[in-house]
Amino acid sequence: MSHNNVRPPQWVLRFLRWFCPDHLAEEIEGDLLQRFARDVKTFGERKARRRFTWNAIRFLRPGIVLRNKLSIQLTPFYMLGNYFKVASRVMLRNRLYSFINVFGLTLGLTGACLLFLWVGREFSYDQFHADKDRIYKAWNREVQNGEIQCWSKTPRVLAPTLVQEYPAVESAVSYARYGSSQLFTAGETRLIKNTGVYTDAQFLTMFSFPLLKGDPSKVLREPNTMVVTEQFARQLFGDREAFGETISIEESGYTFQFTVAGILKDLPPNTDFYFDYLIPFSFLESIGEKDTYWKNNSVETYVKLRTGESADQLNEVVKDVAKKHSDKETTREIFLYPLTKMHLYAGFENGVPAGGRIQIIRMLGLLGICLIVIACVNFVNLSTARAQRRSKEVGIRKVTGAYRYSLILQFLCESVLIALGAGLLSLILVYLLLPSFSTLIRQPLTLDFFSPYFWTMAFSLTAFIGLAAGLYPALYLSSFRPVRILKGVAITTGNRGWLRQSLVVFQFGFAVMLIVSVIVVSKQVRYVQHREAGYNREHLVYQPATGSLQKNYSSYRNDLLSSGTATSVTMTSAPITEPWSNTTSLQWNGKDPADRSVVERFIADEAFSKTAGLTMLQGRDLDLQQFPSDSSGALINEAAVKLMGFKEPVGEIIVDGNTEWHVVGVVKDFVITSPHQKIKPLVVMGCQKNMFSTIHIRLSAARTSQENLKALSSMFAKYDQSHPFEYHFVDEVYQRKFDGIRATLTITGIFSALAITIAALGLLGLSIYVIESRVKEIGIRKVLGGSVAGVVKLLCMHSLKPIFLAIVLFSPMAWLSMSWWLQSFDYRIAMNVWVIVSAATVILSVAMVTIVSQTLRAANANPVHSLRNE
Amino acid sequence: MAKEYLGEFEELVLMMVAALQEDAYGAAIADEIETRLKREVNLSAVHVTLYRLEDKGYIRSKMGGETNERGGRRKRIYTITSAGLAILRTMRDARLEIWKMIPQFKMSGI
Repeated sequence: MSHNNVRPPQWVLRFLRWFCPDHLAEEIEGDLLQRFARDVKTFGERKARRRFTWNAIRFLRPGIVLRNKLSIQLTPFYMLGNYFKVASRVMLRNRLYSFINVFGLTLGLTGACLLFLWVGREFSYDQFHADKDRIYKAWNREVQNGEIQCWSKTPRVLAPTLVQEYPAVESAVSYARYGSSQLFTAGETRLIKNTGVYTDAQFLTMFSFPLLKGDPSKVLREPNTMVVTEQFARQLFGDREAFGETISIEESGYTFQFTVAGILKDLPPNTDFYFDYLIPFSFLESIGEKDTYWKNNSVETYVKLRTGESADQLNEVVKDVAKKHSDKETTREIFLYPLTKMHLYAGFENGVPAGGRIQIIRMLGLLGICLIVIACVNFVNLSTARAQRRSKEVGIRKVTGAYRYSLILQFLCESVLIALGAGLLSLILVYLLLPSFSTLIRQPLTLDFFSPYFWTMAFSLTAFIGLAAGLYPALYLSSFRPVRILKGVAITTGNRGWLRQSLVVFQFGFAVMLIVSVIVVSKQVRYVQHREAGYNREHLVYQPATGSLQKNYSSYRNDLLSSGTATSVTMTSAPITEPWSNTTSLQWNGKDPADRSVVERFIADEAFSKTAGLTMLQGRDLDLQQFPSDSSGALINEAAVKLMGFKEPVGEIIVDGNTEWHVVGVVKDFVITSPHQKIKPLVVMGCQKNMFSTIHIRLSAARTSQENLKALSSMFAKYDQSHPFEYHFVDEVYQRKFDGIRATLTITGIFSALAITIAALGLLGLSIYVIESRVKEIGIRKVLGGSVAGVVKLLCMHSLKPIFLAIVLFSPMAWLSMSWWLQSFDYRIAMNVWVIVSAATVILSVAMVTIVSQTLRAANANPVHSLRNE
Repeated sequence: MAKEYLGEFEELVLMMVAALQEDAYGAAIADEIETRLKREVNLSAVHVTLYRLEDKGYIRSKMGGETNERGGRRKRIYTITSAGLAILRTMRDARLEIWKMIPQFKMSGI
């Protein structure tokens, strides 16, 4: 018959065979084919094929598919409920052990989770720019005193030159944060800001900072336009529309009008770019400040290459750009370094990339992993130590027919259960702690509860930890021979002992390293905070020298002095707590032409040493009124005397550019840059009118600061009605220099406390176990006349041995790593043995308290209780 | 046996197995239900029900002999077990008990 020749679609049959259990396939196919033959007769071939396909696909249902490998698949699922039931019973029966495991793991996970979030944030810095792989930052490289120095400040003229002369460059922008205070007036609102950036028009097309209003390719084209962030616009205009409005900006007595041409979405937290508003360079150039000087390295230069161009090839030619345009003798070279590496890999050593922030980030990641590992160690140790207790269960299960793999599965289930419980708890903890942790590390971290990625990561991480921690105990416990267990032969833990002990050694070694670091960091903090700053920070305030204040400076100063509010007033180029400018090109008598040492520059009008409370070593203070020639006078510090090799410094001449400065006095070294670093050579140059930005005022110590401030503010209002009254106490500002290292101290403190707690918990569990398993031995010893002290000593020595070993093995590592850390500070403590000794004491006393509290109880117990039940 | 319970379709298939005897296999049962009850049945539903009944122990199966139809595939022939017959009886008896409770006049008064 012709119908017999009609064949059903073969791919359907293949598909059916694929998902259908082998033992069912034949009859199902048969039934389907029978129907197909019937359908061909009734409906015709086309419809029959369709019905055949549809009927076959309908077999793809759990009732069929799950019958694959019936016996193997169903049993574990069936047993799973039982495993979880037994696991929860075991956990509830041994509350202390469950607590140690879950709590330890929770602490470890929480710490690690916070660290991983932080690390993740660090890696995300500036990775969101669409063209990030084509954007590079220009760096300078120069041989200075025999070593290649690299720095990322470049001349303003570099960006336009690169675009003009190198076809591989698509666009290049200068980016400058001069940090000068600018007064903003918009309607009634007045604000002082120094968070502005001068840049080129292509900045917003190069980087992916989205504009809420305005066209990225058009804003900043006109000189008198600017772009503000959403937040700054709100500060200036409140709820009013800022786009298209006019803002006037006043700086050092000059006022300019700007139109808001764009409003920028607030910058994301993970970027190194930081500004409230952007002003085009074309504005500076329109007022005649065109900077074409190749030696003025004051801006950052970002370069976007054309698609497909290689930075390595461009670097080959671009390095000579400074030589071509500046002087022929210079050894300075320009090179491009990827934007994506700017945040973490911006450390250079002798001209080659050498880590940078990544080193710290790696340490943080390692710290997180170690925290998890030591929490897992607790689990491994406690489970194997308690093997004896579970051995009967293993024996019975095996006798009633359990396979080894099902026992392994059972124990893994338990550990995964514990890990998931701990994971859930630590998620809650992380959520609660995140705000304070964010403040501590000064990075706003967030948990992304809505991203499936986050949940997958969290779940798989905890499950992985459960599996990793549970694997060894599971293999070990499931390997027991039922005959031996059920006969009552004790399980020998002798050769397992060394594994447990070495894990304890690792735990406590890690704790030792952390404690050493806490001690070293806190000593260093104390040391630097007590460093002699070299000037008197009490009663010293500074305020920005606004335009009108500068115009009326001498009357303002006289008022302050005559009213008795101030004892001394000095106008300077920068606050005394900040460096202002440095240079390598000062000239003096007898200077070695190859010497490229950096000298700090500072500008002050007069009485600088009196106002700041410096100690004069030789000569006299700057004093314009008595010595008009002091407008070209200078003070130098001891470090400068040493550098310049002056025998008789007073009267020596120092040349800066075209100006000759004659030294009138030498001051004792004082901290002007970082209190962690060596004091750099400094020249305080006399009066240079247009460089002033700050007024330092030494308030009268005889009056309270409140009285002084009140008087100060009323005098300020007399001479400057336009600016808000602003002042800073130098001692407060000085303390901010320690924010970074204090945060380091808190962070190491927190994490070492975590590590010690976890390790001590583990030790507690282990010592309870040791006592439990030796309770009869203790009873017998006491019956035979052993003293409580003797028994305690016996038990303690056993538990303390690995801790001694940890101290011996890990102290050298702690020593080395902390010496490495200290090397980043010039002004630092010396590592000494007492650091290690005190860390060892801390660790030992924690361990002693843990162990002795348990052993004492056991040793004091009446032996009758332990011995009567046999 | 309090928990033992058959769904409507299960019961139907089980009765078909009992009724068709030596010719009880998936497609035949489906055809029979379609012709006798004028009810569209899905072949895969019949198969799944058969396997479930087998799991419960109401029917057992063996592969039939080679055939030339059906592309040479063998049939799986199902036979009812005594447990299967017992539950069919229990269910029928239970239904009859309830039928008896329904007053006759209501039946005739349709």
